[in-house]
Amino acid sequence: MAKDRMDAGRGRSGPVKPAQKGSGGGAGGGGPRKKVEVRGSDRRPFYVLLGAIAVAAAVFIGWQMMQSKSSGVITIDPNMTLPEATGYLMGNATAPVQILEFADFECPACGSFATLTEPDVRKRLVETGQVSFRFMDFPLPIHRNTWDASFAAACANEQGKFWEMHDQIFATQDQWNGIVTNRPKAIFSRLARAIQLDEAQWEGCYDSQKYKLNIAATMREGERRLVQSTPTFVIGDKLIPGALGFDALKAYVDSAAAKAPVPGSAPTGDTALSKAVRPPGKSR
Amino acid sequence: MTRRMIIAALALGGVGLATYLAMYKLGFIGTLACTIGSCETVNLSKYATLVGVPVAVWGLGFYVSLFLVALAGTTDRFVNAAWVSHAMLAMTGWGVLFSGWLTYLELAVINAICMFCVISACLVTVLFFLALLEWRGRPQGQS
Repeated sequence: MAKDRMDAGRGRSGPVKPAQKGSGGGAGGGGPRKKVEVRGSDRRPFYVLLGAIAVAAAVFIGWQMMQSKSSGVITIDPNMTLPEATGYLMGNATAPVQILEFADFECPACGSFATLTEPDVRKRLVETGQVSFRFMDFPLPIHRNTWDASFAAACANEQGKFWEMHDQIFATQDQWNGIVTNRPKAIFSRLARAIQLDEAQWEGCYDSQKYKLNIAATMREGERRLVQSTPTFVIGDKLIPGALGFDALKAYVDSAAAKAPVPGSAPTGDTALSKAVRPPGKSR
Repeated sequence: MTRRMIIAALALGGVGLATYLAMYKLGFIGTLACTIGSCETVNLSKYATLVGVPVAVWGLGFYVSLFLVALAGTTDRFVNAAWVSHAMLAMTGWGVLFSGWLTYLELAVINAICMFCVISACLVTVLFFLALLEWRGRPQGQS
């Protein structure tokens, strides 16, 4: 061989030249060995192997990621029996007026209502006992990640933090919507951490899609009420499509309250749901 | 092919494995391709996070570090460097202890076994023995 290929490092798994210990030629230290020289051409199989491993790993991971993309397609048995459509309640279920909001987490108008109007509704109407507010999932098929968002919220509700997750989801709509990503779970996981959920429980729930039928039930309730777009509000006997400002919403509430029966009887506007009452802060 | 090269190649495989598990943990992969055991039970348990960082991410850091050290040890500059042997032995020794602890948790506490975790534990053990052989025959010329 033109160039010496010693194996002084004894780091070779192949044939080893014997008795190089103490053969000299190394740089200082006790028992120096002759320097190993591995020519570039000898390293070529090693680099090819590294390349093959890297490519195999990248292909496997890429394929797995493709498998986990959110397609917006949900599988539901057509013969299923849906549970009661209860949605998520805020406030006192026996308040004089109930507001139902049929909403899609990925719908921009719903996000606008949630971030601009809803804080006032909570403070000035719900907390004062004038109304109760019920969020009803109505995921639209045009939105790829909306079902995932509904699952994220339903699983937060399991830990009593639906509204915290609801607020986070709407506030970060620009980060997880179906146009910017087809893997929204990473964002929702971060939100779950931010509101201090038990992450393992939340993640197991999210992956299992265990509240799929509950969401389907609220959708069916919306269809029964002829909801065609989101957000759509039911206040008293009115079905109001579109994101309302506070003043417009308050006018509908006042109108419904004027028609409300005397205190002690059933609240106005939600006869189908009045039996599914829950204490404030609880839902489902 | 030298032992250092074999260690580097196996460590690179470990990088791929840990990347896969870390991406699952971080939400980029929906479900694990786990044909044996209960990978998701293990990876969703509270023991899958250490000091706020997913264990898979720690594992990724371990494999990347080991790969870089072993790869450096194959270059002309460090081919006779004894520190490479010392570092690889220390790292893989720590890896074996840590993997042993995780395997204990799987068997005795979580009561579920994760196929990928077992593969990683076996890989670390093989890497440790290779690093031990490499260390015993380490170059004496440089440190």
